[in-house]
Amino acid sequence: MIALPSIAFGGFSGSAKGVTARQVAGRSILSLKCYPTGVATGAQLARRASLKKIAKSWVTLTNEQRHEWDRLAEHATGASSLGQKAELSGMNLYVRLNANRVMAGELVMADAPAGQVAVPNVEYSTVGVTPQLVVFGGIKHESAPYKMVVKMSGTQSPGITNGWSKTVIISSEVEDDWGEADITKLYLKTIGVEPTPGQKVFIEAYWLDTSTGFTGQVFKDSVIVTGESSYTPRKRVTMDRLAPDHEQHVSSIDVDFSSGAPVIQFDVMCEGHSNVASSEAYLADDLPQELQGTSWALGRGNGADGKLVAQSYVMWLYGARYGDPAYITFAHRGGYYVKPTEVFGPGIIY
Amino acid sequence: MNFNSTGNNFGAGTISFKSHQEENFVVLNAKLTYNPESPEYQAADVLEIYVPDLSIDRSAISGVIMRFRDVRDSYGYTWDNSGGTVLKSWVKDKNTICIEKLTNFDEKGEITIYILALYTMLARGGNPIKGTKVRLTTSQETTYLRWSSDTFFVEFEHWIFLHMQFGSCTYAYRDSPWECNLDNLPSGITADLPFCGGGNQYNPSVDGISEAHIENGVFTCQTRTAGFEDTGHDPFIFAFLVRDN
Repeated sequence: MIALPSIAFGGFSGSAKGVTARQVAGRSILSLKCYPTGVATGAQLARRASLKKIAKSWVTLTNEQRHEWDRLAEHATGASSLGQKAELSGMNLYVRLNANRVMAGELVMADAPAGQVAVPNVEYSTVGVTPQLVVFGGIKHESAPYKMVVKMSGTQSPGITNGWSKTVIISSEVEDDWGEADITKLYLKTIGVEPTPGQKVFIEAYWLDTSTGFTGQVFKDSVIVTGESSYTPRKRVTMDRLAPDHEQHVSSIDVDFSSGAPVIQFDVMCEGHSNVASSEAYLADDLPQELQGTSWALGRGNGADGKLVAQSYVMWLYGARYGDPAYITFAHRGGYYVKPTEVFGPGIIY
Repeated sequence: MNFNSTGNNFGAGTISFKSHQEENFVVLNAKLTYNPESPEYQAADVLEIYVPDLSIDRSAISGVIMRFRDVRDSYGYTWDNSGGTVLKSWVKDKNTICIEKLTNFDEKGEITIYILALYTMLARGGNPIKGTKVRLTTSQETTYLRWSSDTFFVEFEHWIFLHMQFGSCTYAYRDSPWECNLDNLPSGITADLPFCGGGNQYNPSVDGISEAHIENGVFTCQTRTAGFEDTGHDPFIFAFLVRDN
């Protein structure tokens, strides 16, 4: 015979037959064990396994470490579905913060953080969702150790007003690239199907302090999927924007025209070609007149022979002409020519 | 605007900066030295210079020049194999300038870093602003220095971009102190400049680096490294320079 815990007896705690009794702040709380419904995704299974592993590791802590977690838990609060803040035990907090850390690729921390950490709230100016593009723009940047956690739903009927329970984690380590975060691939990998124009997608986002596991407030948003994005990414030349049918002499390229200053920003690995001290990158799209011209930047040798020679490079940026696509020539000027050379930094333009 | 650093994490002491600061970029000029044997440097993963509030709170990568000294005496002849390379540098936040830590030359002793750099933000919603290239004209009482056609500047009200590339020197003057007038250089430019290039026999992973100076429109360079005029190692100066105006 199994004796079920009863709220009639104060101080009773323990689990039996899927019922758990515990004492929190002088109150007896009974809870039924929850079992997930439906088929778990790979991510859900991994998350559950991680939670189980973290919970089991609680017993490996020293008494002092557990005491510190209890002390921190006295000042921390948890979300409650009953409309009031729930008390947290030290173990609850240990599992919760470490689960967040593990989700962001960090290791489990045995020592409790020194105190509760104020984490900023997510702010962005726009989010564009089309079948081909899922992108956040104008994200207010937060430096490491913060990473943005983004949860999104699959497409829902536009009439649904509260669909945030259908969101799943798209990524727990979004780092904006100068305010932009293109999560198209992550969205498609997680949700499995492209967003449908005219339908609605629900979004939750928050910053995660990866050093402590604390999170900021959840920012809730929703957006109607459009056929084409109204969001214009900043002007850049990257590897995926090179002409596929032309021989390229760069192994990586990021030329950014968005400074609004008298410079172009370069980060290019020039491989060179033939016996000419230059490299060409042919572009898939034309280069508008206002971005054509001449620029100069520093280079540093990056050869297998260990040469780190400082060099200067001149870049000629041409629009499409004579049947050729637009292209950029990276021509060696000062210093000893090394193949390959990394050309980087701001380059004056005229 | 001139300011001093408020600290650093690699034992470099106080660093004096000249700056021109705008909403979306800053031009910074400074020259600093550090000892690679200092415990602060040894403990640092990235070199950080702490400064009063900058106008930008982060930047894309820029480049600064590091130089080590390697001067040897050989049968009474001074053999200067000083050299160096480009280091990546960026503004991490309003109060922190970062410089990549490159340990390859730590055994050489004191290192000098020349910050003659522009640090820009990105995603500012506008196209780059085009400047105008002006060929730098030079003159000497006796012409013994010649510069390549890639010797020019681009002028702005409070700063300039300068690129100079050595052409040749009359044989009789190759070991003399050099001096020449930079006739049309914009006013208000004073700076020590790393003169990068020339072969480096004892440090073949890099070129030589000499030091030049510009003040009152006059270029001077007291000495050059041993392989300065080696073919294919074209010496050059690359600098964003703040004007004193």
